[in-house]
Amino acid sequence: MKRTSRLLAASLLAVGVTAPAASAQELVVGFTQDANTLDPGNHRNRETETIIRNMFDGILTRDSSMNILPELAESYTQVSPTVYDFEIREGVTFHDGSVMTAEDVRFTLHRLTAEGAIGDGQTSPRQSLLGPVSGVEVVDGNTVRVTLSEPWPLLPAMLPFQEIVSQAFVESVGADGMATSVNGTGPFKLVDWRRGDSIIMERFDDYYGGAPGIEPVGKACVERVIFKVIPESASRVAALLAGDVHIINDLPPFAIEQVENSETAKVMTVNGTRSFFIAMNVEGEIFDDIRVRQAAAHAIDKDLIIDRILGGNAAAISGILSPDAFGKNMDLPDYAYDPEKARALLAEAGYPDGVDITMDTTGAYKDTAEAVASLLTKAGFNTKVAVGESALLTEKWRTEGGPKTGDMYFTSWGNGSLDPQGIFVPTHMTAARGNSAGYANPEIDRLLDAASTEVDREKRAEMYREAEAIANADVPYVYLWVPQDIYGVSTRLTGWSPSPDSRINLHDACLN
Amino acid sequence: MSLARFVERLLQLIPVLLGVSVIVFAMITLTPGDPVQIMIGDQIVTPEQEAAMRRDLGLDRPIHERFFAFLGNAVQGDFGQSFYHRRPVIDVIKERLPATIELSLVALIIALVTAIPLGVLAAIKRNSFLDRLATVGSLLGVSLPGFWFGILLIMLFAVHLQILPVSGRIGYASEIEPITHLLLIDTLLRGRVDAFFDALSHIIMPAITLGLPMTAILMRVTRTSMLEVMRQDYITFAEAKGLSRQKVLFRHALKNALIPTVSVAAIETGSLLGGNMIVETVFGWPGLGRLVVESIFVRNYPLVQAAVLFYAVTYVMLNFFADILYTILNPRVKL
Repeated sequence: MKRTSRLLAASLLAVGVTAPAASAQELVVGFTQDANTLDPGNHRNRETETIIRNMFDGILTRDSSMNILPELAESYTQVSPTVYDFEIREGVTFHDGSVMTAEDVRFTLHRLTAEGAIGDGQTSPRQSLLGPVSGVEVVDGNTVRVTLSEPWPLLPAMLPFQEIVSQAFVESVGADGMATSVNGTGPFKLVDWRRGDSIIMERFDDYYGGAPGIEPVGKACVERVIFKVIPESASRVAALLAGDVHIINDLPPFAIEQVENSETAKVMTVNGTRSFFIAMNVEGEIFDDIRVRQAAAHAIDKDLIIDRILGGNAAAISGILSPDAFGKNMDLPDYAYDPEKARALLAEAGYPDGVDITMDTTGAYKDTAEAVASLLTKAGFNTKVAVGESALLTEKWRTEGGPKTGDMYFTSWGNGSLDPQGIFVPTHMTAARGNSAGYANPEIDRLLDAASTEVDREKRAEMYREAEAIANADVPYVYLWVPQDIYGVSTRLTGWSPSPDSRINLHDACLN
Repeated sequence: MSLARFVERLLQLIPVLLGVSVIVFAMITLTPGDPVQIMIGDQIVTPEQEAAMRRDLGLDRPIHERFFAFLGNAVQGDFGQSFYHRRPVIDVIKERLPATIELSLVALIIALVTAIPLGVLAAIKRNSFLDRLATVGSLLGVSLPGFWFGILLIMLFAVHLQILPVSGRIGYASEIEPITHLLLIDTLLRGRVDAFFDALSHIIMPAITLGLPMTAILMRVTRTSMLEVMRQDYITFAEAKGLSRQKVLFRHALKNALIPTVSVAAIETGSLLGGNMIVETVFGWPGLGRLVVESIFVRNYPLVQAAVLFYAVTYVMLNFFADILYTILNPRVKL
């Protein structure tokens, strides 16, 4: 026994001595998920994009305040409601040294949008992210013209999510080669992809510098970047505290204090793009009465829940849009927390002794939903939280206009583009895909339709502000909050801040 | 065992696998949740775009047609394309399998080399402090949840003592040209001792976590069977003959006491595959278990089907192997 334990101690010691230490120029990100593929055109997955966007650049990009800026384009103009021209930057090279041209941009967009163009007769799963793009052509050398089948003001907001590939490279390696190799124009190039474990990249020294509108322009600061896959959040936090990684995403709220108290790491937050709300079945027996819906809105103390359950990491909302979204109405009246008023409204609606209701939600939201339910119960809604599988609940609540059962549904909707079109239309348009409340208001439908084709930005913003005010008055949903994305970062890290669109852009990140 | 018997056992695999295929296919397709809807997430799509996605994934065909196509292709070794990786499922599984095999083997070795000596010791020193300690330890080993024990190890060895890495299979600096795809072996074959210790430092915590319940079970089996053997007449006889204690223990008792241990170990190796899913998630181990968990959540039908079939084959083969081993170790038993 003694010998065994001595042997164990010796081998642990040996291991300790050889445990690799990250060099000053090696930035490691502890990330929740591996990339599904390295082909920017052949996936539909946010995490995959977060990783590979460091090796590919797009026509447009965003700064940390979510402004849309030219990246591989030098400039762009909207020629008409359905035609956009992009002037493509010259002197940009791919990682293999070949020059990027307007033809490559045309090829990329065609590959994303045309039927059967992604390879093996398949269509890109990203096709619908580019909405009604109907034609892409190169006009006069380095201008790419994108034609839409109908006006769609969302195009610039969606282009930062599409990365430019080399036509010659795609044609030489094919769909299979694209899935596992990279030839982009981004600040980092691929060294090795260890499936399920890590993606290792190194600095691309011939990088053109990136968007001129985002300082600093030039090649990346660190020599190597590694996305290390650590799916379990407690292990991710441990890796940060142990100094194995320098950035972790999805820091669980319970670990905030632990990270803040450590000397080597700190917490960074940014408003996310996901709005939380409670859908009330406006076709149902109970919630078809607006007074009952108003009562529910008055019953919930959002600030209390944000403070106590979400660790202060969320922004309260009174309409569907995030405070950072384009066209957000900042003057919406709030249904202030007032349980007495809620009880009075309920009594007025014919429920003087309160009413029994069930609130559906998924496992991930259970704790928060329980807290909301206890507030509702205090105000006369005897609420039972029913946790269901998300797929089942989607079928139950997102009936696209079909009849639905149920009282309340605690849920959320993400909107990475921060353009109202991406969240307002699906949740509020009559019979839309995410309209869980079963809400139908012709005036809202008219405004959303008009805004989706309006070219004048100010007029368009005004339409969304008006629509948000109408929805606020109709209360089909109790609008709750937009949680912040929480990151843990090493105190050695400089030049990096989290981005609301969940991109982890490492071009400017440095390590001390 | 005769060759005919061996072939017969192999043929019995066919109905088992067919049954597993039907059950897996039915379970995953009847589970609510639509891969296309999950993929679209919160984006807006036109019905035509959604239909095109469904067509590309082959989900536009009726369920029975899909099942027979799956079966027909599977027989030829083609499990289709992974919805998310957009590559053949078999390729994706092949990339992740070696990590799982390596982890399971190391866990198995850890379990065997700790459980057998401890079990024997507990049996010899029955009712002693050591025996009680081992019994309590094995009870804990069976009942501690893997994810909790794993995180405990991480907190101690990676965060506080900082002698082991939190996750992964090997450091980024170690690049090893694969031979067997098992890093502990490849690093040695390539003569890279530094990389071997690097890989060892990565595998030690997940392997202990994975092997813990198995260690506990094997220890109790060994102890019980050792106690039973020690009561046999031939042991009393051997002792009466005046053989040394050591000879009695190791030549006569242990050999027979190990029969149940070995067959339980073979069967329990199958359950290591199940435990892998949790351990791989906690330690970011790039194996098959984690891939399957991720695939179930996003309804990646082809991958889950292929992986479960693989698990079934492995499990059946391990049982089969345990049976054969049993007949070899114990010639009185015939299959």
